[in-house]
Amino acid sequence: MSMLYPLPAIVLLIAWYIFTASDPKRQFVFSSPQKVFDTLVHLLSSGALVRDAATTTFEALAGFILGTTSGALIGLTFWYSRTVAKIAQPYISALASVPIFAIAPMIIVWFGIGVMSKIMLAFLSTVVVAIVQSYQGSMSVEPRILKLMQVLGASRNQVFRIVVVPSSLIWVINAMKLNIGLALLGAFIGEFISSEQGLGYMIVKASGLYDMATVLVGVFTLICIALFLTMIVGKLEAWLLRWKHA
Amino acid sequence: MATTLGSKLENKTILSAAKVSFTYDPQPGDKSAVEWTFRDLSLQVREAEIVCIVGASGCGKTTLLNVIAGLLKPQSGSITIASAENRGRAIGYIFQQDALLPWRTVRANLALAEELRGGVFKRGSKERLARYMDTFNLKEQILDQFPAQLSGGMRQRVSIIQSLMFDPQLLLLDEPFSALDFYTKLRLESEFCRLVKEQRKAAILVTHDLDEAVAMANRVYIMDLNGNLSHEFEIDLQQNDGSVEAARGTPQFAQYYSAIWSELKSVIAN
Ligand SMILES: Nc1ncnc2c1ncn2[C@@H]1O[C@H](COP(=O)(O)OP(=O)(O)O)[C@@H](O)[C@H]1O
Ligand SMILES: [Mg+2]
Repeated sequence: MSMLYPLPAIVLLIAWYIFTASDPKRQFVFSSPQKVFDTLVHLLSSGALVRDAATTTFEALAGFILGTTSGALIGLTFWYSRTVAKIAQPYISALASVPIFAIAPMIIVWFGIGVMSKIMLAFLSTVVVAIVQSYQGSMSVEPRILKLMQVLGASRNQVFRIVVVPSSLIWVINAMKLNIGLALLGAFIGEFISSEQGLGYMIVKASGLYDMATVLVGVFTLICIALFLTMIVGKLEAWLLRWKHA
Repeated sequence: MATTLGSKLENKTILSAAKVSFTYDPQPGDKSAVEWTFRDLSLQVREAEIVCIVGASGCGKTTLLNVIAGLLKPQSGSITIASAENRGRAIGYIFQQDALLPWRTVRANLALAEELRGGVFKRGSKERLARYMDTFNLKEQILDQFPAQLSGGMRQRVSIIQSLMFDPQLLLLDEPFSALDFYTKLRLESEFCRLVKEQRKAAILVTHDLDEAVAMANRVYIMDLNGNLSHEFEIDLQQNDGSVEAARGTPQFAQYYSAIWSELKSVIAN
C-alpha cells in the first residue's frame, strides 16, 4: 500500500519529461527534469542553495517559535479574565484579517531588509493563530474536571497549571501545524519584496531571468522545508499526546 | 435491635444539612413565584453510613449534591460537614463519568491531593494508597498507565481513590456505577460498601437503580418532584463483609424493594 505513495510523483515526472523532451520552446517555459536536476547539483555545489534555504528556514523558524510561544502564552492567560479576552478580541480579529502582504512593506521599512524584518513577518503571521487556538483550548476544558478541581479546593493558579495548560496542548499543537505554513509564507513574502538572500530572493531573481529551473528548485526546496518542519511537529505531537494513543 | 440502635447513636454525624433551600432563579425576591429546586430540606448522614437518594430524573438530586459540595450556594439553611483533623474541608465527589486528568498516569492522578494541599497529605500517603488499592482490588501495574488504557470500572475505582487521598469524611456519588456492566457494578458496589464500613466514611449515593439502593444503603430517600425527601426507609441489609450479593439474597431485600418501588411509582406519577 505505502509503496504506491510515490506513484503519482513518478507519473508526473515522466509526463513532464515526455512533454518537454526535444522541444526547446517548451523547455524554456516549463524547464525539464534534466535541467532542474543539473541546476540543483550546480546550486548545491556552489553552496548558494544551502545558504538561501538556511536563511529562509532560520527566519521562518525564529518567527514561528516567537509567534507560537508568545501567542500561546497570551491566549492561555486570557483564561484568567473573560473581560480582558473580550476587549482584546476585536483587535485580534483586526490583526487576523490584515493580509500579511499588505503590512510587509511597512515592516521592511521599520526593520530593514535583513533577516529581522522577515522574522517579524513570520511572527505576525503566526501569533494570531496561536492566540486564538490556545484561548479556545483554555475555554474547552472538560467541565467535569473543573467541577472536581473546585470541590477539591484548587486555587485558580493551580487549576491553570494543572488543568488548563495541559488540556489546551492539543490546541496549541494544532496552532503549530497551521503556523508552519504561515511562518514560511511570512518569511517568503518578506524576501520576495526586498532581500539579499533566502529562497524568496533566489526565486525572484531567477524568474526575472526566466530561469525556470532555478525557480523550480526553489519551490521544491520550500516544499521540503515545510514537510520537514511538519514532520518535527508531528513527532512532538506524538510525544506530548502519548496518553491519547496509549 | 437495641444493640444496633446503641451503636448508631455512637456514630458521629458527618453531614448535617438543616432547612436548606435552593433555586436556580437568580432573583428569588418575589417569594410566591419562585421555583425552588428544594425547600427547607434537612438531611443528616453519620459515619459508616450510606444514604441513597432515588427519584425521577430532573427532580434535583444532582443539584442537592452540588449544594452540599459547596459548588452552589443555597439561598437559606445551613450545611455542616465534619472533617478529619488538620485536613481542612474535604469532600469526595464521584460522577457518572470519571474526571481523571487524561494526560496524567494513574500515579500522577492519585498524587493530586499532595500536589494541591501539600504538607499533611504527604505523610502516610503511600500507606493509604496501598490500602485503598487493596480495598478496590487494583494491581500496582496500573499506576503507570494512562486513564485511556483502563476499563470504565478501573477508572471509576481510581476516581474514588483519588478523592479518598484527600481524606474526606463525606463522599458524594452521582450515579457512579450506572455506566458499568453488571458484573463490574456488583463488584464495585461491594468494594465501596466495604470501604465505607472499614474507613467509617459517610456517603450519599444518588442512583437510578433501586436494586443498588436497597442492596447498599442504610437509608433510602425518595426525592419527589418538588425536591422534598418525601419518604424515608431504614434498611441495612449489609452484613459485615459488605457483599451486595449477600444483601440481594436476603428475604428482606424483595420486601424493601417492592415497598420502595410502589412509593416511587406513585411519587413519579403525580
Ligand atoms: N445550571 C442550571 N441552571 C438552571 N436550571 C438547572 C441547572 N441545572 C439543573 N437545572 C434544573 O434543575 C432541576 C434539577 O436538576 P438536577 O439536579 O440535575 O436533577 P437530577 O439530578 O435529579 O436529574 C431540573 O429541572 C433542571 O432542569
Ligand atoms: Mg443528575
